[in-house]
Amino acid sequence: MKHILGPRSAFDGGLFLPDRKSLLARRPIQTLHPDGPLQVPLTVRADLRTECIVDVGDTVVRGQALARALQSDAINAHAPAAGKVTAIGRVWTANDGFLPSVTIEPDGTDQRTPRHQGWDEESLITQLAEHGVMCSEPRAPLHVVMRKAIESGVTTLIVNAMETEPYLCSDLRTLVEHPSRTIDAICDLADALCVSNAILAVPFRHRRVVRRLRREVVGRHVTIEALANPYPQCHPVMLTKAVLDIEVPVGGSPLDCSVVVLPLGSVRQAADALLADEPVTDALITVAGDAIEHIGTYRVAVGTPFSDLARRLDIRAPVRQVVVGGPLTGVAMGYRDAVVTSTMNGLLYFAHREDVRPVPCIRCGWCIEDCPVGIDPQALMKLEIVDQPSSQSATDLKACIECGLCSHVCPSRLPVAESIYRARVRVHSRTGDAS
Amino acid sequence: MPIKSWLAVDAPLRSDAPHRRAGGTHRHILRTWMLAGALVGVSGAAFHGWRALLILALTVVSTFAVDLSFVLATRRASSGRLSRTFLVGLIAGLTLPVDVELYVPVVCGALSAFVGNIIFGGWLHPALVGRVLVQFIFLNHASLAVMGGAVLLPAYIFTGDATASVSTRYYDGWLDFEGEGAQAIELQSPQRALRAFAEGKIPPDGDDYFEPLLRDVLPPWPDAVLGAVPGGIGETSLTMILIVGFFLIYRGYLKWQLPASIFLAAFVTVAILPVGLADGYRWFPVFAVENGRAVGLAYCVYHLAAGQLGLVAFLIAGDMHSSPMRVQGQILFGIGIGSITIFMRLYGVVECEAYWAVLIMNTAATSIDRLTRRRTLGTQPPREQAALA
Ligand code: SF4
Ligand code: SF4
Repeated sequence: MKHILGPRSAFDGGLFLPDRKSLLARRPIQTLHPDGPLQVPLTVRADLRTECIVDVGDTVVRGQALARALQSDAINAHAPAAGKVTAIGRVWTANDGFLPSVTIEPDGTDQRTPRHQGWDEESLITQLAEHGVMCSEPRAPLHVVMRKAIESGVTTLIVNAMETEPYLCSDLRTLVEHPSRTIDAICDLADALCVSNAILAVPFRHRRVVRRLRREVVGRHVTIEALANPYPQCHPVMLTKAVLDIEVPVGGSPLDCSVVVLPLGSVRQAADALLADEPVTDALITVAGDAIEHIGTYRVAVGTPFSDLARRLDIRAPVRQVVVGGPLTGVAMGYRDAVVTSTMNGLLYFAHREDVRPVPCIRCGWCIEDCPVGIDPQALMKLEIVDQPSSQSATDLKACIECGLCSHVCPSRLPVAESIYRARVRVHSRTGDAS
Repeated sequence: MPIKSWLAVDAPLRSDAPHRRAGGTHRHILRTWMLAGALVGVSGAAFHGWRALLILALTVVSTFAVDLSFVLATRRASSGRLSRTFLVGLIAGLTLPVDVELYVPVVCGALSAFVGNIIFGGWLHPALVGRVLVQFIFLNHASLAVMGGAVLLPAYIFTGDATASVSTRYYDGWLDFEGEGAQAIELQSPQRALRAFAEGKIPPDGDDYFEPLLRDVLPPWPDAVLGAVPGGIGETSLTMILIVGFFLIYRGYLKWQLPASIFLAAFVTVAILPVGLADGYRWFPVFAVENGRAVGLAYCVYHLAAGQLGLVAFLIAGDMHSSPMRVQGQILFGIGIGSITIFMRLYGVVECEAYWAVLIMNTAATSIDRLTRRRTLGTQPPREQAALA
C-alpha cells in the first residue's frame, strides 16, 4: 500500500505547495556559454578574504585561478571562461552585497587549464578547497563543512535532493541526467567523512528517478530514501527528522546529532571537482517566472549579470521582482547589476509583485497548523514589541527554521515570519548584551 | 524587449520572503461566510415569507450603523472589520424568529455591535451576545421564546402571507397538506416539544411515552430536516445549513471536526442523559423501544435536527475570532457545545440553549488553546523531561 500511496509526511504541519514544475522538470539542462563580459566575484562570502592574482590586461584560460584564499576556510576563485581581464572592481551579489570582482571579456575560445587526475582520500578535502566547492546550506565552503563534520564525529551523511519549493528543478535534473556520477561523488564524500550511513533523500513522487537511483546504488554503500515532500521537507532539520526520526535540539544543527546534511548542489560541484578536475566556474540554476519566455534549467557561468540572462532568455514583460532562490525563502532584489554566484539554484523573474496589505489577525489558526516545528507563530509575532519574553517563547523563537510558511498561508497577509525573525534578532542581541 | 528596460523602475530594491502567498485571504473567507449566511437567510425567507429578509436587513443595518459610528468617532482603522460587522449582523438576524416586532432586530443588531464587538472585542461571539441580551430585555416577548409559528405552504413559499394561516390537528407532512385556502400552517416548534417532553409535560399513551411525542407533537422527520418548522430564520432549514456548511468545509474555512464533534457529543449526551417520565427518570433513552419501534433512537435524532444546533455547528461555532485555533482544540470546543446544549435543553430554563453553550465555550477558548498547544520540535516532551529530572 505504501508503495502506491507513498510515504506519509514525517512531521506535523508543512504544506504540499503547488510546485509549478510540470514543464520545467521535463526540460533538459542547457549550457549558456558566456557571450558578454563576466563579472566574477573573487570570494564567496564577504568575511572570507582572498587575494586577486591577475591584473587588468592579463589573458586567462578557463579554470585558471583569479584569486587565492588568504585564510584556511576561504576558497579560490576561478575564471569561468577564457578571455581578457578588463577591469577589477566590485560587484553586487544577492546574498552578500558587494564583493570584490574581476571583469573578464570572453574571447570565445574554450581553452582551459590542463587537467590533473588523481587524488587520494587524504587530499580530497584539499581538492575540494582548491576547486572552490561551496555549500549552500550552511553557507560555507564544502571543505570547511566536511572538516567540522569529521571533527564532530558524524556517523550519517544525508544528501538533500528534496527541492520542495515551487519552480526549482536543478537537483531533479541533476539526478535525471547524471545519476551514476552523483552516486560516485556521494560514495567518495562518504568515504572521506568515514560515515557508516550515506543516504540520498529524494521526493517519492519522482518514481522513475527513484527506481533509476535504486538500480544505481546496488552494491554501493548509499541508500535511497524516498520521502513525501511537503514543504519544508528540504530543510536539514526536517530532513533529519524524516530520515532518521531524530529531532535536532532547538537552535542546533544536524551536526549536534552526528548527522551532516549536504545539498545536492554541492555534491554536483564536488563531482565535477573530484571526477573531472573541473573547478567551480558555473552554477546550475532554474530560471523561471511569468516574465521570462524560455524557462528551464541552465548551466550558467559565474559572474553572468542577471540582465544578460534576461536578455538571452527573452523577457516577456518588464520585471517587477527578481528572486534569487525559491519563492518562499529566496532573496528578492531590485538591483540591476547583480550577477550569478556559484551557490544559486534558482532565479525567478516575476512580472508582478504581490500586493500585500496586512490586516489584523483573524485567528484562523492556519499558521499554527502548518508550522513545521510546532510553534505558535501568531503569538510569537507579538514578541517583536515585548521586552521580556517568557522562557517558552524564547525557546520557540530559537526553534523557528525561517521557512516562511506562516507568512505564506496567512489570510490576513501579516508578515509573520519576518516579525518572528526580527523578534529573534532583538531578543538575541539583548541576551547577548546581558551575558 | 530592449535590454535597458528589463527591470521595471518601480521594482523594490529588496523585499522579504516569502515572495508568493497562498490564495485565500481574509476577504475570501469573510465573503464566503457571508454568502453562506445569506443562503441560509434565503431558505428562512422561503418558509417564513419575505418578512424574514426585512428582519435580516434591519439587523445588518443596525449592527453596521453602530459599528461604523464607533469607527468614525474613534478614528480607528476599520480594515477588514466592517465586513466582519456585516457577518455579525447577518448571523444575529438569522437567530431571530420571523414574527418579532421590528424594533427587536434593531436592538439585537445594535447590542451585537456595541456589547459584542466593541465592549467584548469579539472574543465572545458578538451576534450571540446580542441575541441573548435581547432575550433578557424582552423577556415577556412571546415570540422570542418560540412556542410555535406559521410556516408557508409549498404553493406559497417566499410569497405567502404568514398571517393567513390555519392550525390543524390532522397533519402528516408539509408537502401533502391541503391548505383549503390558507397560505400557511400553524405548527409547534420541535425544540419546544422536546423541552416539554423532558419536563414530563406530554401525557403518556398507556405505557407508551415516546410514541405520543413522535406521533402527535413533533413534525414529521422530513419536515424537520427540510426546514418547514417554526423557529429562528436561519435555524430551521437543516438541509440548507448542511449545504452551505459542506461548502465552507470544502473551501477549508471551517474544519469538519467541529460540526462533527458537536453533533456527536450532542447525540451521546442525549442518548445517555435521563428524561423525566411519569414513572421516574429513564436513563439511556436511546435504547427505548415501544411497539417494536426504536423510538429512542428517533427521539435522539430529533434532538439533533431541532432548534439551533445545526446553525450553531456550521455557521456560528466556527467563527474564527472566538473559537480555538487548532483542530484538537476545536474538537474539545465542539464536545463542550454539543453536551452543554443538550444538558440545558433537558434540564435548563433559559431559551436559546445552543447559543448559551457557544458563549460558555467561548470563554474557555483561550484555555483550550493553551491545553492543545503543539510540542516544539527539538524540545523534550514534558513527561520525558520529568523522567530525566
Ligand atoms: S517561519 Fe518559523 S514560525 Fe513560520 S512556519 Fe516556518 S518555522 Fe514556523
Ligand atoms: S495565519 Fe495569520 S490570520 Fe491566521 S492565525 Fe496566523 S497570523 Fe492570524
